[in-house]
Amino acid sequence: MAPLLRVEELRLYFRTAAGPVRAVDGVYLEVGRGRTVAVLGESGCGKTSLARAILRLLPRNVAHYSGRVLLDGEDLMDLPEEQFRQEVRWVRLSLVPQAAMNSLNPVLRVGDQVAEPLWLHGRVRRPEEARDHVAEALRRVGVPTEFADRYPFELSGGMRQRVAIAMALVLRPQLVVLDEPTSALDVLTQANLLNLLKTLRWELGTSFLLITHDVATASELADDVALMYAGQIVEFGPAERFLTEPTHPYAQALRASVVGLREERAPQPLPGRPPSLLNPPAGCRFAERCPARFDPCGQAPPLVPVEGGGRVMCWLYTQEASHAR
Amino acid sequence: MAQAVAVTAPRGGVRQHPAARVLLYAVTRLVALLTAVVVGVYLTILVANMGGYVDQIKRAEIREQVALAVSLNEQMQRLPADVRERVAEQMIRNEERRLGLDRPFLSRSVGYLRDALLLRLGFAERMTSDTGSRLVRQIILDRLPATLLLFLSAQLLLFFASVAAALALSRRYGSPADRLVVALAPTSAAPAWFYGIFLILVFAAGLRWLPFGGMVDAPPPEGKLAYAASVLKHMVLPLASLALSSIFLSVYAWRTFFLIFSSEDYVELARAKGLPGRLVERRYILRPALPTILTSFALGLIGAWTGAIVLETVFNWPGLGRALYQAVGLYDTPVIVGSTILYAYLLAVTVFALDIVYAVVDPRVKVGLGGER
Repeated sequence: MAPLLRVEELRLYFRTAAGPVRAVDGVYLEVGRGRTVAVLGESGCGKTSLARAILRLLPRNVAHYSGRVLLDGEDLMDLPEEQFRQEVRWVRLSLVPQAAMNSLNPVLRVGDQVAEPLWLHGRVRRPEEARDHVAEALRRVGVPTEFADRYPFELSGGMRQRVAIAMALVLRPQLVVLDEPTSALDVLTQANLLNLLKTLRWELGTSFLLITHDVATASELADDVALMYAGQIVEFGPAERFLTEPTHPYAQALRASVVGLREERAPQPLPGRPPSLLNPPAGCRFAERCPARFDPCGQAPPLVPVEGGGRVMCWLYTQEASHAR
Repeated sequence: MAQAVAVTAPRGGVRQHPAARVLLYAVTRLVALLTAVVVGVYLTILVANMGGYVDQIKRAEIREQVALAVSLNEQMQRLPADVRERVAEQMIRNEERRLGLDRPFLSRSVGYLRDALLLRLGFAERMTSDTGSRLVRQIILDRLPATLLLFLSAQLLLFFASVAAALALSRRYGSPADRLVVALAPTSAAPAWFYGIFLILVFAAGLRWLPFGGMVDAPPPEGKLAYAASVLKHMVLPLASLALSSIFLSVYAWRTFFLIFSSEDYVELARAKGLPGRLVERRYILRPALPTILTSFALGLIGAWTGAIVLETVFNWPGLGRALYQAVGLYDTPVIVGSTILYAYLLAVTVFALDIVYAVVDPRVKVGLGGER
C-alpha cells in the first residue's frame, strides 16, 4: 500500500537581501499510515521550512516553491489555494506549532478556538454540539473541560500546548505535523507531553510528522527518522536502526555526540558548521565535515536504498564506493 | 501598554467584590485624570500670562491709554499740571483695579484656575465673538462648528481610508504599491498648510475650479441644499491638504502595525486551520489589535476639537484655530484658557472612557489596582 504522505523533490527557497536561501532543497520523505516520522536536524537546517512547505504555510518572501506532496496519492501541489483551504487544511493536515507563548489568539476563549475548525468545515450546526466536541477533545488531551471558557493567558504553557494538540486533533486529520511541540517547556512538562503524544498515537492511529532537533524526543516517539542536513534529507529509515546503526556519516557523527543512558564513553563533538543555505556546495553538503570523504563527494550524491528499509544520500553505499576501495 | 493597566491572575488571592473593585478603580482613575487636568490648565494659565509678565504689558498699555485720553481731553488740559497728574494716576488705578491688576498675579491665578475648572469662562478682554458677544463661551461656540465640520470629516476620512489601505497593503507586502507608500511616507514631514498653499495656487488661482478660502460663498446661497453644496465646495481644498499631509505616513504606520500583528504565531495557525483570509484578518489581526486602533481613533477625534491655526489662516476658515491665534496675539488670556480647558476635559473623559473600553475588548486587561494578586 502506498504511504500516507509522500514528498518528492520538494523545494522551498526564500528571498533575502543576500540572495535566495535554499531552506528546503529537493526533499524526499515518506510517512506511513499510523506511523510517526521524526524529522531530525540541527537549527537552521530547514526542518521548520519543510513543515511549512508541506502545510503550504508560506511566508511572504518565497522565491521558489516546487515539488510533489502526495497525500493519499493525491498531489496537493496541484490544488488551487481555495480548494486546498477547504479540503486539506485541518481536515486532512493539521499542525501543532512550537510551544511558544502565542500560538493561541489572546483575545478568544480557548474553547472557541478549538471549536473554530468544526464550524468552519461544517462539522457542527449548533453551539451545544460544538461544546460537546470541544469537551471531548479537551478530555482526550487531559485538559479540564471547564478550561474551555478561559483565555489563553489564564493557562500554563503546558496546558496551552495540550489545547493546541486538542485543536489539531479535533477534526481527526490523517496527518498531524508537530513542529518542535515540546521546545520552550520545562523538562517535566516536556515528559508529560511526550507521554500524552505516545498515548494519542496508540489510541487514534493518526500519523504524525514530528519536527525536532532533539535526538531524545525523536527516539521517544518516532517509528521512522528522517535526518535533515542543510536543506536535504540525508538519511531516512526505521528509528531503531537510526539509533543503533546509523548509516550516513553525519548520522554516525550525531549518534557519537549523544551519550546513551547505559553507555560508558565520552560524547564526541562534531567539528565544523553546516554550510550556508545561501550558497550550498555543489556536491555532498556534508563533505567538508565528513571523515569518510573521497573522490565522488564533489558530485551530488544519489539516494541509495538501505537494507532493512529507508534510504541514504551518500556515495559510500554506491557502486562507485566499492570501485574506489 | 494595555497590560500595564493591571494584568491579574484569575486564581488565588483575596478577592474584593467585583463591583467594589471596579468602583475603586474608576474613582482612582478619575482622581488621577482630574489632577492631570488641573496641572495642565494651571500651566496653561501661567504660560498664557507669561508667568505674570502680561500684567506689565497691560499696565504699560493702560498708562499709555490714560495719557492719550488725558492729552486729548480739552477739559483736562485746562486743569493745572499737578491736579491733572493726580486725576490721571487715579484713572490708572481705577483701570488697574477693574482688571484686577492691583492684586499679585499668583493669587489671581488661583482664581483663574477655579473659574476655568468650573467652566466659568467669563468675558474676553478684547475679542468679541462673530455674533458680537464678549463671552468667551460664545466666542468658542461660534467657532467650534466650523472647526469640527472640517477636522472631524478629515479625521474620519483619513482614519478609515488609511486603515483600509494599510490592511490591503499588509496583504501585499513588498508589492509596487507597498513600496510606493513607503517611499512617499516622508512627504508627511510638511504640514497641511504647506500643501494648502500649493493646492490654492493650482486649483483656485490657476484652474479656478475651487474657491480660495472661506466657508461659504458671499452672499450665502439661499436654500439648505445650495448652502451645503457651497460649504462642501469650500471644504475640498482644506480636506485635500489635510489628507495629503498625513495619508501616506498614516497608511505606512498602520501597514507596519498590521504586518507586526500578522506575523504572530496564532495568525499562521489560523491560516493552517483553514480560516479564509478575511476571517483571519478580522478575528486574528484586527481583533487583538483593537485596543490600539480604538485609542488612535479616539485621540484623533478629540484632536479635531482644537483646529489648526495656520491651516485655518491659509484657507480663511472661520474656526477655533484662528480664534486662538487672534487671542494669542491680543494677550487675551481668558480665550486661550477657555479653549484649553475644553480640550483638557475632553481628553480626560476620552482617556477614562478608553480605560473602560480596554477592559471590555481585551480579556487580558482586568480592571483593578494591581493590589489584587
